[in-house]
Amino acid sequence: MTTQNPPAKRIKREEYRRNVQAQQESTDGSIIKMPQKKFFRQRAHANPFSDHRLEYPVSPAHMDWSSHYPAFVDPDTSKTTLSGGRKLTKEVEVVDIGCGFGGLMVGLAPLMPDTLMVGMEIRTSVLEYLSSRIHALRSQQQRLKNKAANPSSTEPKDASAQPESTESTPAPVPANDDEIGTEKLFPGNFENITAIRSNTMKFLPNFFGHHQLSKIFICFPDPHFKARKHKARIISESLNSEYAYVLRPGGLLYTITDVEEYHYWVLRHFLHGEQPEGGAAPAASSKDLFERVSDEELALDPCVRVMKYETEESKKVTRNKGNKYVAVFRRKADPEWPA
Amino acid sequence: MASLQHPFQCLRYVNRQSAGQSDILVATAGRNLYSYDASSGQRLDVWPQPVDADVEDQSSDAAPASESQGPPEKRRKLSESSEEQKDAKSESKSKDSNKEATNSWTNIPLLTVAHGKYVVIMTSEDKCVRVLSLDNEGKLKQLSARTMPKKLSALTLTPDENNILSGDKFGDVYTFPLIPSGEYVKVQAPVKPYEPSATNLTVHTKRNLESLEQQMRQAALSRTSQAERVVLNFEHQVIIGHVSLLTDLISVTRPADSAVGKRSYILTADRDEHIRVSRGVPQAHVIEQFCFGHTSFVSSLCVPSFEPKVLVSGGGDNYLLVWDWLENQILQKVQLPGSEGETTVRGIWDVSLAPTADNVDPVKAIFVALEGSSQLIYYTVGSDNTMTHQDTLQLSGNVLEVTGIDSRGTILVAVDTLRQSDSTSAWKSSSQPPLETFRLSSGKWAPVEDPMVTKINSEGTSSLPTTVEEKQQKELNDSVYHLSNLRKRGDAYDD
Repeated sequence: MTTQNPPAKRIKREEYRRNVQAQQESTDGSIIKMPQKKFFRQRAHANPFSDHRLEYPVSPAHMDWSSHYPAFVDPDTSKTTLSGGRKLTKEVEVVDIGCGFGGLMVGLAPLMPDTLMVGMEIRTSVLEYLSSRIHALRSQQQRLKNKAANPSSTEPKDASAQPESTESTPAPVPANDDEIGTEKLFPGNFENITAIRSNTMKFLPNFFGHHQLSKIFICFPDPHFKARKHKARIISESLNSEYAYVLRPGGLLYTITDVEEYHYWVLRHFLHGEQPEGGAAPAASSKDLFERVSDEELALDPCVRVMKYETEESKKVTRNKGNKYVAVFRRKADPEWPA
Repeated sequence: MASLQHPFQCLRYVNRQSAGQSDILVATAGRNLYSYDASSGQRLDVWPQPVDADVEDQSSDAAPASESQGPPEKRRKLSESSEEQKDAKSESKSKDSNKEATNSWTNIPLLTVAHGKYVVIMTSEDKCVRVLSLDNEGKLKQLSARTMPKKLSALTLTPDENNILSGDKFGDVYTFPLIPSGEYVKVQAPVKPYEPSATNLTVHTKRNLESLEQQMRQAALSRTSQAERVVLNFEHQVIIGHVSLLTDLISVTRPADSAVGKRSYILTADRDEHIRVSRGVPQAHVIEQFCFGHTSFVSSLCVPSFEPKVLVSGGGDNYLLVWDWLENQILQKVQLPGSEGETTVRGIWDVSLAPTADNVDPVKAIFVALEGSSQLIYYTVGSDNTMTHQDTLQLSGNVLEVTGIDSRGTILVAVDTLRQSDSTSAWKSSSQPPLETFRLSSGKWAPVEDPMVTKINSEGTSSLPTTVEEKQQKELNDSVYHLSNLRKRGDAYDD
């Protein structure tokens, strides 16, 4: 009976993922292929209030990042985290909350090759894809580097491998995300990005200390259309307090959405509304900790371009001719203590 | 005492000698709030007042007398329709339902006292924060009743005692004035016609488009009969939010030192192992620190009045942590009896006693009780801010609440009168006295006679019906022992 067996699609998917896993674990030096998104699809929602089976460090000082950024591990083996892992030479300072398939991470990595960035995602399949993708990207870049350094190497010919484009002509952007990084060398080798499964609504402060981050990205968050689901939105006044805790003064929080109503929700939760002349001052809230960044400034920020055009979701919105609403907020300094 | 009686769930010793009045003990047991003369133990008042002295079962549907003396309740049940002509009718209707509501709780798990003359309680089932006045004669009179959106797990006051702080099971901390100032004018949001936030620019699949179309049709139909949004109809502010169940909330003031002036903080604990340090009102949105170290839920926070730099915290771990809480620094990890995964800290209490003839040095004590345990663990805090275990007191029943009476050098312990010692479910056949008292002599706490306690114990609290159904028994057990439900089970659904 066909109904007794799992659907063929699922069997195929599981087999594919097993192969990806096996390929990554093998150390025979073969080229790691880019994972294909279609085998990692997952429904777009997760309940942020349920416990899940999450792993998270007891505190930021316990977090072991060494396996995530092998290129940035401190050579001094005596330096260890509270959980005994190796320390890094620098701290993680950019976070993409709800990174999905990781388009933003991959887009930003070459722009800031010396900045450690992490994508956080609650959905396991999607995260698995991104981890495989980063792994494959690093391996492909390594291959390209070796080839560039030693063009006569007798490396097995890869069908997709093209001769490298010269510096003067920019490489055409691959039509498929799964192909980025297979043909062109990018600065930083994608060693500066990683992905972690987490529920940031609960555990963001377990990963990052006070004022540790310089940028937080929240791209195309789950809009939770129904009013009774609004409490599950990733932007709220109380969560904004936590973002302010991990963001350093001057740090930026980027948001983009295709849902107009959500855009206004974001503005409403980061900024005080118009106050009537002579009216009472607004009640103190986390809104006091942020100010909106001007459009002129944003026009010069390459991160905004990546966020607008290179994430998977933004491409989908472009395809469907939807609107994109960008709002970026700067973390102000904490207010003076009341006398 | 043949019949079973409710144990005291909350105790508070109200020191009023500075105001030239005699001290009062306020306590909750079952669905009642009691006030006692602290010297004689004479019961001064019971709230809500039973209409008939014999009526003690909870099914009584008459409104208690003291209830009607309070100001008219401002709360209005929102009916499905907000049409004008129906208002008058629903007004009288809702009054009835309010009367019912005043009788609908079975226990009072939270209590605090402001300015020595206001008692703030939360009645359990109706999630209602009630402020009562406590007059010179110890009489209780309800001044206000404010219904919260979620059941509270903690109730305290801002340092000036003029505002209430409440933490609820949804993770939110509210602040609202102890005494509501005048009539609250509800900020009426203009009733906007409902518009789906999704558009055909944001949803694309056939199914989503269909449901969007349906929403549009529905919106057109219900444009006129949109129910107004249910908002709290009293002055309030949400100041802190955890995306987790909030378990405890305390307000701490650090005295000025050489570097900084006096500063107040709010410490909150949640089910996800967090202890958060925020600034006090009005800057509670500024998070100053997290204290990381617990690996299970945190249920109790205690910053001893004698050492405000120190925090003692406990919960589902079989250890306590002693912190320099402003620095997220663990000063000490104190092992508790019992194994990991079973021990739950019910309460942590600080008691400080001035030096007496018996005790030359001032006493800086921390008492800890575990959930469903008849032992009370006694520690002292040394000059290096670490705790030393001194003694473990054996009580006649499970420890529910502890309060120190420094003028007498004693502690007062409320014990469970219903459940057998060291059990959270097995009932006794008859009740024993609800209070015990101890005095420190030569380093040990020994039981003492106290006329107040003797008198209170002889009168007892309210009796349970002679037969209690098993289901009701379980409800009563859960109303007192619910902390173990906070433990995370490993079988959570995941995908």
